[in-house]
Amino acid sequence: MIRLPNAVLGNDELLVTMGRKGEILGFFYPRRDHAQHVEESVACIHTGERLLWTNDNDWHCIQNYVEDTNIVSTKLYHDSGIRISILDLVHPDVPVLIRRFKVQSQREISGKFFYYSNFNVGETSKKNSGFCDTDTHLLVQYWQNYYIGIYSLPEFTEWQIGKAMDTIWWTNSKYDMEDGKLQRNKEDIGNINNAAGWDLELEAGGANEFVILMGAASSRHLLYKRIYELSKLPLEYIFEKTREHWVMWLSRKQVLRMPGIEGYDNLRQELFSAYNRALLVLYLLNDHEHGSFVAAPEFDSNFEKCGGYGFCWNRDTSEVVLALKRSGYPEYCDKFFKWCIRTQLPDGSWFQRYWLNGDIAPSWGNFDYSTQIDETGSTLYAMDVYYRVLEGLKKAEFLEEVWVSVLRAAEYLMKRTKSGIHESCMDLWETYYGIFTYTNASIYAGLMGASHLAEENGEIGMARRWKKRAEFIKQATIDRFWLQEGYFAKGVINGKLDKTADASILGTYVPFGMLSPKNPIERDMIQFMIENIQKKLSVPINIHYGIKRYENDSYINGNPWVVTTLWLAKAMFTFALDLPHENAISSPIQETHHEKEDRYDEDVKRFTSEGIKCLKWALAGATSTGLLPEQVDQSTGKPAWVIPLGWSEALMLDNILLLDKICRRKAGNKKEG
Amino acid sequence: MVRDLFMFAGLNERTQIVWFKIIYSKEPGSLSSIIDFLEKENAFIMFGHLDNITQKTGEYSVFIELDKNSDPEDFARKVEELDVVSEVEYGVSKYRMIYSADFPLNVVGVRGVAARALTIVDIIKTLNQNVPHAEGLLTMSGLKGGIHSAKYFKSILNLDDSNFADVLAELYRGVGWGILEIECDPKTYQGKIIVKDSFIADVYGGADQPVCAFMSGYFAGYLTEYFGKNISVREVSCKATGKDVCEHIISPAPSGGTGQEYQLRGETR
Repeated sequence: MIRLPNAVLGNDELLVTMGRKGEILGFFYPRRDHAQHVEESVACIHTGERLLWTNDNDWHCIQNYVEDTNIVSTKLYHDSGIRISILDLVHPDVPVLIRRFKVQSQREISGKFFYYSNFNVGETSKKNSGFCDTDTHLLVQYWQNYYIGIYSLPEFTEWQIGKAMDTIWWTNSKYDMEDGKLQRNKEDIGNINNAAGWDLELEAGGANEFVILMGAASSRHLLYKRIYELSKLPLEYIFEKTREHWVMWLSRKQVLRMPGIEGYDNLRQELFSAYNRALLVLYLLNDHEHGSFVAAPEFDSNFEKCGGYGFCWNRDTSEVVLALKRSGYPEYCDKFFKWCIRTQLPDGSWFQRYWLNGDIAPSWGNFDYSTQIDETGSTLYAMDVYYRVLEGLKKAEFLEEVWVSVLRAAEYLMKRTKSGIHESCMDLWETYYGIFTYTNASIYAGLMGASHLAEENGEIGMARRWKKRAEFIKQATIDRFWLQEGYFAKGVINGKLDKTADASILGTYVPFGMLSPKNPIERDMIQFMIENIQKKLSVPINIHYGIKRYENDSYINGNPWVVTTLWLAKAMFTFALDLPHENAISSPIQETHHEKEDRYDEDVKRFTSEGIKCLKWALAGATSTGLLPEQVDQSTGKPAWVIPLGWSEALMLDNILLLDKICRRKAGNKKEG
Repeated sequence: MVRDLFMFAGLNERTQIVWFKIIYSKEPGSLSSIIDFLEKENAFIMFGHLDNITQKTGEYSVFIELDKNSDPEDFARKVEELDVVSEVEYGVSKYRMIYSADFPLNVVGVRGVAARALTIVDIIKTLNQNVPHAEGLLTMSGLKGGIHSAKYFKSILNLDDSNFADVLAELYRGVGWGILEIECDPKTYQGKIIVKDSFIADVYGGADQPVCAFMSGYFAGYLTEYFGKNISVREVSCKATGKDVCEHIISPAPSGGTGQEYQLRGETR
């Protein structure tokens, strides 16, 4: 069953995904991609008459983060007058989720508060064991060396360990809560579930509080120890420590100023929040041990509607680590490129996608024709971008470390581009086999990056050879794919030129810089391309329009994507910054210096303003908690499909930093004037 | 029980099946005047259903076989022109397969659907073949249905020890699930249910194990809701395994530890 989260939280070892009503959807420990131990974990109230599941339709909800933290606040309102406030946080150092439930009611209740969980410990429903340790008041379920436990304050007074899906249905903890009391079975094996219960005695207007600690460990002893130690600490102390952890982490970021953006209502504050949120989300998608990132927390592990997202793609992660570097967190680049050195395939390429520990993941890209060559191009390009910002000894050390990997990757790209365009492979959207503009651009950037690194390493011959091939690829791509209509064709599919407008052709400009605005012809090409993408791929919804991936896209209803919309915004902002000051976009009319100045200002203003509209559109499509999805539903305007998507978050960071740069430059100019 | 009408009709190229929902005033002789009119017009009444909407008005839903060349709209207008009739709706069952005057169908107080037994059995088979714990899953699914039915009957009639078994049997026959013979002692919660012509076992084909877990779950849900006590129902004999009938054993669900659960499955522990 596919269920998309509305909030994520965690620490280095634990990643929790949560629905809008505070129900736990995913509990990943010890890695972000494995193992997901929870099928269902949610609170219920027995009013004395009936059982109310807090995630059913009768509840209205408001969910958001405590500002600048990964602490989640969920408020639930039931028509009967019951109100529940949930505060969720994960201790920064220990893989324990702490859930504080405050239950209030307008009318008297004499019932029960239940906490129900269906754990699949070790990501399996088979061969699990569960028990209730009544001495320590711990509910524990384990499989091999994964232990998940529940403890509470106050201690629960009743419990049930039952069969989750069996003909002996009356032991099922889910059913057992229906009559308002639990059977207190202490242990069972197989596909099991559990429930803990407390008396809920509320006078009209009264409140009760229940704190639940849900921890993970690799042994029973460690689980007990972790929970015992945490239970001794006051919740306020843990809350402060957790809040401080996130605030401190954010304090390292590249500071934004955004001077002069006040004219856009509340936009400045919205962008500051989105910037922080993107950083906080990306922290949670990163594997701190290995340096890799999941594209998104897995939500379709059975591959029911897609191929899953809980894996590391080099293409996405290259964008993510560069965005983090620009935002003030360079260490993610360092760790990721170390991971890349380890995961490179014997032929010098990188695989379609990996588990976070570097093992190759389930894939439909196992052959030369089905691999995605752009991932190798992107990785090389990113390595060079990172190298360029390093200084001193660190620079030399990095080059020493990656050189062999660069050499192997560049030679792989050489091998696959002998004719000037790449051999047939799969496109970045993982939909078509063929030859693609985007993939060629990524190879161009990879080889140019490798050439630069070779030059820095004193390998002039190699540098020259790789650069020559890169330029050959650029020329061949322009010659074969640039259309008179003013944009690049998607590529060659089934031997025929496919003129479908595809947003990924923006890659020829950003990030890969195959087209340069310094060249007047290429500058015009970039401008035409941007205009055509706006014209052909815009989908009006919410306050502006979003950009879909390509014409006739049918994946998940062909919605507009946050990725492609922010990609376009990034191209616009970059273009506004790249416009040569002395030479605003070519005009057939002879202009004075002042007229040129005015035109320049106008062009910068136009691209900036359009980019801002795209940014605002992306923000409008976020969840109530500010997480960016992959797509926005084209009929409802609500977040659609993958939540949160790392690539969307990375592009948000890039865009905000670019806009900040534009604002600063403009403010500086005004000051100078 | 029957709140809706539906029917199957064989192929007859010279006629068409038309349903009319006629709202009429309940005066003495008013219904006769409608039926007289239908007879006079050579409209062959296949199936009719009367419903009292208010004290003054009634609803007569009737399925009629009309000559293929007759215009149903014209026919409806003529009916509406009768003094006692205030409103007429009509519809044509184009392919004569199945039709309902009211949409959607209503079964035990909530929306229902009519389906081939094989349609449901295909789902059950697919689950059995592909899903771990399919038997448990089907039991749990049936349980919900049984609980709902008992709740519904408790709300509309005085369900008691004298009739709870008959009501369940009548329901099963009414919806075509099977013919039940129920022996259940309301004091000990012990007993058995024989299902003749179970719609699952009938069309499932040969099987090594009993296949009617969904029905066991349904019985368990119904009895649990009625008795207010957890009741275990397990199928010990099934037509799909070559027996004449299906047999489900009723007993109180054990409470407490796993030992009793395993005993219930006939294992020694």
